[in-house]
Amino acid sequence: MTDKTTSTPGGDRPLVELRAAGKSYGNIRALHGVDLTVHPGKVTCVLGDNGAGKSTLIKIISGLHQHTEGEFLVDGEPVRFSTPREALDRGIATVYQDLAVVPLMPVWRNFFLGSEMTKGPWPVRRLDIDRMKRTADEELRNMGIVLDDLEQPIGTLSGGQRQCVAIARAVYFGARVLILDEPTAALGVKQSGVVLKYIAMARDRGLGVIFITHNPHHAYMVGDHFSVLRLGTMELTASRSEVGLEELTNHMAGGAELTALKHELAQVRGVDTEELPGEGDLPAPVAATPEGKS
Amino acid sequence: MDRSSHIRPRRIASFVAVAAAAALTLAGCSSGSGGKKSEEGGADASAGKASTPRMKVALVTHQAPGDTFWDIVRKGAEAAAAKDNVDLVYSADPNAGSQATLVQNAIDQKVDGIAVTLAKPDALKAVIAKANAAGIPVVGLNSGLTDWKELDLLEFFGQDESVAGEAFGKKLNEVGASNAVCVIHEQGNVGLTQRCDGVKKTFEGKTQILNVNGTDMPSVKSTITAKLKQDSAIDYVVTLGAPFAPTAVQSVGDAGSKAKVATFDLNKDLTKAIQAGDIQFAVDQQPYLQGYLAVDGLWLYKNNGNYSGGGEQPVLTGPAFVDKSNVDAVSQYAAKGTR
Amino acid sequence: MSMARQAEPAVDTPPAPGPKQTDGRTVRRSPVLRLLARPEVGVFLGAVAVVVFFLFAAPPVRDAGSMANILYQSSVIGIMALPVALLMIGGEFDLSAGVAVVTSALTASMLSYQLTMNVWMGVIVALAVSLGIGAFNGWMLVRTGLPSFLVTLGTFLILQGVNLAVTKLVTGNVATDDISDMDGFEQAKSLFASSFEVGGVQVKITVVWWLVFAALATWVLLRTKYGNWIFAVGGNKDSARAVGVPVTFTKISLFMLVGFGAWFVGMHNLFSFNTVQSGEGVGQELIYIAAAVIGGCLLTGGYGSAIGPVFGAFMFGMVQQGIVYAGWNPDWFKAFLGVMLLGAVLINLWVQRTATRR
Repeated sequence: MTDKTTSTPGGDRPLVELRAAGKSYGNIRALHGVDLTVHPGKVTCVLGDNGAGKSTLIKIISGLHQHTEGEFLVDGEPVRFSTPREALDRGIATVYQDLAVVPLMPVWRNFFLGSEMTKGPWPVRRLDIDRMKRTADEELRNMGIVLDDLEQPIGTLSGGQRQCVAIARAVYFGARVLILDEPTAALGVKQSGVVLKYIAMARDRGLGVIFITHNPHHAYMVGDHFSVLRLGTMELTASRSEVGLEELTNHMAGGAELTALKHELAQVRGVDTEELPGEGDLPAPVAATPEGKS
Repeated sequence: MDRSSHIRPRRIASFVAVAAAAALTLAGCSSGSGGKKSEEGGADASAGKASTPRMKVALVTHQAPGDTFWDIVRKGAEAAAAKDNVDLVYSADPNAGSQATLVQNAIDQKVDGIAVTLAKPDALKAVIAKANAAGIPVVGLNSGLTDWKELDLLEFFGQDESVAGEAFGKKLNEVGASNAVCVIHEQGNVGLTQRCDGVKKTFEGKTQILNVNGTDMPSVKSTITAKLKQDSAIDYVVTLGAPFAPTAVQSVGDAGSKAKVATFDLNKDLTKAIQAGDIQFAVDQQPYLQGYLAVDGLWLYKNNGNYSGGGEQPVLTGPAFVDKSNVDAVSQYAAKGTR
Repeated sequence: MSMARQAEPAVDTPPAPGPKQTDGRTVRRSPVLRLLARPEVGVFLGAVAVVVFFLFAAPPVRDAGSMANILYQSSVIGIMALPVALLMIGGEFDLSAGVAVVTSALTASMLSYQLTMNVWMGVIVALAVSLGIGAFNGWMLVRTGLPSFLVTLGTFLILQGVNLAVTKLVTGNVATDDISDMDGFEQAKSLFASSFEVGGVQVKITVVWWLVFAALATWVLLRTKYGNWIFAVGGNKDSARAVGVPVTFTKISLFMLVGFGAWFVGMHNLFSFNTVQSGEGVGQELIYIAAAVIGGCLLTGGYGSAIGPVFGAFMFGMVQQGIVYAGWNPDWFKAFLGVMLLGAVLINLWVQRTATRR
């Protein structure tokens, strides 16, 4: 596999790395031949349309599933997570599309879910509710969210606010790698802007961010590196300096296929092929094997 | 998933050790009193077996699962079956429609005789006719005193719950009761309702009905206590099942009432209570006899064409009152679970 | 696990907002209304309404002894309603809870009698069996992923059948033998089934146990990590798993808690009544679930309390005995029970809605 990732200025060892990774469910090959690296202080965007394999990719990194092909390395050593707890312990935090929050529970309980603060000796070890509420309030304010009542069920918050609480949670718990699964998918313009701002803040605090989206505009605003998934494999992997927004968008929209089709279409009268990108306009896809195409 | 296999032998060893310790502890803690060891080894009455050809009899009742009364009916039937070289097939369902299906089942199995209880005669009318048409003799027991002839049953053993109830009411008159509460532990049960109706018919005092939740004993106790508090004039608590009488005794104590307790049906704990005076009397409809006679009757008909009652009259098995004066004679049989 | 903070951020982060700046959009509701919105308060008011009603309609209720009787009935339901409620908050049902009580009592009784052992041995083995049944329910649920309704329906039928058949097999009857003359009986009875006097009234010890368990259950639910897990696992199991909550452990342990409750009530039944009828227990599971739901536990899980079911069980006992105290026509008993319960639940609902709407 040709390696298209550029070396980062910091020269850090990647926090998370996938080499030719893949996942099969029975006889369905959901993912194969995926290379990905995540460096601290950098945002790696994973783009792709629905069904491309993005969810499977995240589930492998966050510990919900295990890869069946290739290698998965954290801090340079190969790992195989059997529970999300293990990934969390290694500093990999994921903010899911459905947010991994429990709607009926209060904000502060959600914030500390799975990592509750306790005080007192066993057997009377109890929750340190005051400290948790204070800390949650403080962390949220640091991210710019002000909530009157932390007891309110988290389901009563708006979509954008919930996303931000989830990101604040991940940042607070010392995540080194933050994976965001389509955070802007269901949000309006202004809320998306807020979320992107927080992604930038997380990056600036030194986290490695994996930003999954199917919106190339959002990706381009904060991304340092872009990988496009298609039908379970990487179609494009390039850094910011190598690819522009337009090319990225074209690629997302199936541009490479249309280019190949351009030849065919040109032969049919009445079809305007001038606007379609030419072959030279697009960076070469990583996997040039014909079987990858439909 | 990576499981370190070297842990397993250690885990198994510690588990075995704990199990062994538990077994030794259990073995060492025996009771100095009571228990099976102290049970008298009374020899069960056993007779020889008839040399007549093996026949199959189906006994289909309306027993609810776990009912003590019907358990004794079944024991009587099994005793007769053992003696008469009969293959007894027992089935029961409190739901009349389902009971009819069970009878049909017996017809399909081509049994040599069917014994049924007629708690709801209309529901069984059609299927009994089919049995007769198929040449299978049908006898009745326990319920259906007024209906068995109409339905073309060969003979009938037992007496109706209503008759037992009426006798009970008369006995209450004898002992001078004036206000009795009849405790129904399963609202809607035909037999239980008939018993209370029978009591009401002949009892000269006031008869009240109390519905309790028979599947929860603490609830039975609380509810009877509440009733006794609601009406302090109650002087007799009538329970319709042997297990509920001792509970009623506890309720009387809890409520601080002066009421006495009497019951239908008998079991070994009751005989002790009657001897001690906690319970005044019990009606013994001789369920063992009902089951026994039903099966034996079918055997007699098959092998000698006999049928009791001549097609005109039923064969009555009770009610027999068991009180302090005659309980001793009965208690040894009650201890075996057959009275 | 704190991460090393790196150099100054390149992008200017907005300054943290000033102290105690509020959102400005929510108006603080009066404390009274906030209190009314809690689930426990609604059912508490419903219970009060029921008590007041029966104090008027049924004169015998005014007697202290009657209240002791009502509390006894409530406590026997209430002790089981607590773990059933916790399980419901955790997102699952247990339909085998009713017959499991009888299984426990049968085990203790038959084991002690048949092997002529000290009854405490029977009691301990019955605890192991009850916890085992709970663990089995939980394990089946986790393994198969089937709804708990189905899994425990299966267990319910199995236990019902086993109760009847094994008793018949071992004792020859449908009920167990009397163990009241065996070693350890009196001691066990004093623990599980005794009563004591308070101001001239006999109070059963189960009332005390009920309140103790309720206090424990509330503390665990609201003040421990495990309690947080229960809410999470019931509210959104997948989210909980994703953030590292041990879902399997929580679910199985909740079922085992129900097993513990079944053991306790089973022991009470055994030592109160000496013999155990093998056909009992059927239908009780719905009463426990009813007490939990009346007490404010959401059927779908993730929300509820342990105090609410205390009032729910009390309401149930109050209505059940109150009808008898009032001397109403006994034929209509079940219908009255249903109407009163619905009424109490509606009051509960109305109170909650009013409190949250204002």
